[in-house]
Amino acid sequence: MLVIKNLIKTYSSGVQALKGINLEIQPGMFGLLGPNGAGKTTLMKILATLLEPDSGTAEMNGLDLINQKAATRKMLGYLPQEFGLYPTLTAAQMLDYFAKLKGVADKKERRSLVDALLEKVNLFAERNRRLGGFSGGMRQRVGIAQALIGNPELLIVDEPTAGLDPEERTRLHNLLAESIGQNTVILLSTHIVSDVSTLCSSFAVIRSGEILAATSPETALARLEGRIWEATLPREQVADPKASGKIISKQIAGGRTRVRMLSENGRPAEPFTAATPTLEDHYFIVVNEI
Amino acid sequence: MATTNSLRAFAAIAYNEVLLNSKRVAPYLVAALCAGNAVLWWGWGPAVGRGVAHNSDLYIAGVLPPYSFLFLPLYTALMMADPSIRDFREGIDPLIFSKPVSRAEYLLGKFFGNFFVLACCQSAFVVTLFVLQWVPKQGVTTLQETKFLAYPKHFLVFVAISHMFLAAVYFTVGTLTRNAKIVYGLGIAFYPIYIAYQTILLSSLPWRWKLALDPLVMNRGHNGEAFGPNVIRRNAPELLNQLVVVYDTDLIVNRLVMILLTAICLTILYKFFTTTERSGTKEHLSVLNLSTAAQGVYYPDPAMRLDEFARPEAPGSPVAVPEVVTVNEGIRTTLYKLIAAVGVEFRLLFAERSLVVVMPLAIFLSIFEVAFYNIHPDVSQSAAYATNTAKLLLLFLIGISVFYTGEAMHRDREVKIEPVIWSTPVTNTVLLLSKFLATILLMFFLLTAVGLIAILVQLIRGHTPVGISAYMMVYGVVLVPGILFMTAFVVALNVLLRNKYVAYVVVVGIAAGLFYLYSAGHNQWFYNPLLYQLWKYQDLTSATTLAYRLYWLIVAAACLALAHLLFERRST
Repeated sequence: MLVIKNLIKTYSSGVQALKGINLEIQPGMFGLLGPNGAGKTTLMKILATLLEPDSGTAEMNGLDLINQKAATRKMLGYLPQEFGLYPTLTAAQMLDYFAKLKGVADKKERRSLVDALLEKVNLFAERNRRLGGFSGGMRQRVGIAQALIGNPELLIVDEPTAGLDPEERTRLHNLLAESIGQNTVILLSTHIVSDVSTLCSSFAVIRSGEILAATSPETALARLEGRIWEATLPREQVADPKASGKIISKQIAGGRTRVRMLSENGRPAEPFTAATPTLEDHYFIVVNEI
Repeated sequence: MATTNSLRAFAAIAYNEVLLNSKRVAPYLVAALCAGNAVLWWGWGPAVGRGVAHNSDLYIAGVLPPYSFLFLPLYTALMMADPSIRDFREGIDPLIFSKPVSRAEYLLGKFFGNFFVLACCQSAFVVTLFVLQWVPKQGVTTLQETKFLAYPKHFLVFVAISHMFLAAVYFTVGTLTRNAKIVYGLGIAFYPIYIAYQTILLSSLPWRWKLALDPLVMNRGHNGEAFGPNVIRRNAPELLNQLVVVYDTDLIVNRLVMILLTAICLTILYKFFTTTERSGTKEHLSVLNLSTAAQGVYYPDPAMRLDEFARPEAPGSPVAVPEVVTVNEGIRTTLYKLIAAVGVEFRLLFAERSLVVVMPLAIFLSIFEVAFYNIHPDVSQSAAYATNTAKLLLLFLIGISVFYTGEAMHRDREVKIEPVIWSTPVTNTVLLLSKFLATILLMFFLLTAVGLIAILVQLIRGHTPVGISAYMMVYGVVLVPGILFMTAFVVALNVLLRNKYVAYVVVVGIAAGLFYLYSAGHNQWFYNPLLYQLWKYQDLTSATTLAYRLYWLIVAAACLALAHLLFERRST
């Protein structure tokens, strides 16, 4: 179990990135959902031993991630939000190098590991191609493969699906889902709500360095059951829908605006009908403090 | 109307280039170096102590061609290599080319915007000379009548037009190949090419042709020397100070030819330049920026329920990743990881395109004298060959240790692989030593190549017997400890400063300071890591020389220890 207590980080520019983060994360996939600049990457970097917090603790099965960096790196797999690869090396050479750095000393073992990982990320046919010629999705898969080397107990993936096409996203989702071991904690940071709903057994919403809510997708949706209403209105009515609830989101489609509303006291107004809650409703309600 | 719009687009692009350059370090550095050069010519140039005024027309016109030759071609390459490459590298090209901007407006705006900045930087030389008219110094003669127009006029004729042509060549090559390293290679190759052009092609021609075909107008005057110590010695300073430089027809023709060549070069560029994306890879060591981090939130259909989301099902028979044994403790493991890291670092260093130019150039120049001239052996032929090749080779080794170590130290950050590598269970020793050893290995490769070719030359020229031990002794005692120290020092400096350009400036500054000290006769062993002017072949195995080298090896070890102490895996 990963336990984060009162983690605080302020950058030298004065930006307070984390304002006392507290989380208890069980094995499985945990989503960290928040807008850009919420503090997700800062939290990830601290857990990946790359950034020093001002105060607070982070422990994984009794191991102090902040102070025992060398030990932490032995059980860590990390895929940063923005990363590069040596473009002159081939995929196989790059993974072989990472395997050596992670301490896989036996040559035969390393070779079969690299081959299996390349197979797993569907890049085996491209194993001898230089990374400089890889597409964004292919490089992201190499990134995932390197993070999986050495069966990490803590796998940190920072916005892995940003910028990927739907097919690559699905492929990446599958890869991550397959990687969940019995005692593995996978920490997935994203600003894409469907990533969380697709993959995570629990998640937290973070904004401006604070955890606003931490729950499971099922619980979040259950809480909204019967409280979400939707109507498609002409644009001129959107500013004042004459309804008793609070607007969650507005989406323009076909010249009309689809308005979703939160109402505790039944139907807010005439054109509104009961709608199925989504995780996105939960996200907007939490982030915008509706 | 169309002309006005074209002019407006051209002006906007040119202005934007000026704005971009105003936020870069390079132009200010180039301007500072040019100004420093002016101070040297003023205070320590050929006219000092001879009564020739530094603000006389002849002096101003006389110093500009050599000024134009020394370093300026490199600065021109530096400034003109990547104006358009930058747009493709940063991915701004689709934003620009989707606007109603023609290729001509784009190319001319880029070229003249950057050339204007380059000319401003180069003009720091004449601006400084102009200001120095009011600065008194012993031995420096100044005419009382202040000169104004002579500075910009001669600068325009002798420097700006010459470098406009060079700039056009560099800009064309950079834009067409989209590879700045080729342009930098061309910048370095300019000197051997120009010297060969002068000595092989122009030397046999009549002086009028020499002048007409010389892009830097170094061949002014009937005897090929317009200004210099000989001219000063042969003529009375009073006469020289009164001379007014008049541009004769030959010079005007030369300048017009340069302008014409510039136009031809830009026309060729216009003809072959395409705005479309290339299918091949741009550069071997391009930065890979993977995540575009699309703004906003992904919207699934709101009507979709959680239970309708396609939760990825684990495939029936997913590829099983084999369990592996990882070993991360002990010296043996550290050594194993170090060897792996050195292998990768060396491979990456060898992929640097500039090596294609640097390595052959270093080998050619190092063996040039022994291959084409007669050298007089004091002890033995091999000792003379080894000593001779070591001198110039040392210069290249210093350059490689400074610049390639800097590249290796900062590559991971530039390629954005640093967080991935830093999160692996590898010690800081491995991270630092791998870069140090890879650069050393590269230099050993060069050293061996030069040694072997020198031996081959020795055999071909019949200067036998070949004594391998002479090479081993010179290279082993003089070069090896020197490069070990230099590389260790540069590693420590890069760790301390965390910026390779600042490290370059500091190293160049220290080197210039030390060279000045050595030239003034202060070349004591304890601040002379390269044994400059301190060794003779006969003394190489003496206890004193070996003690000096041991001292520098200890300092090198101390530098590495300091680097290790200061190194932090500090993310931002």
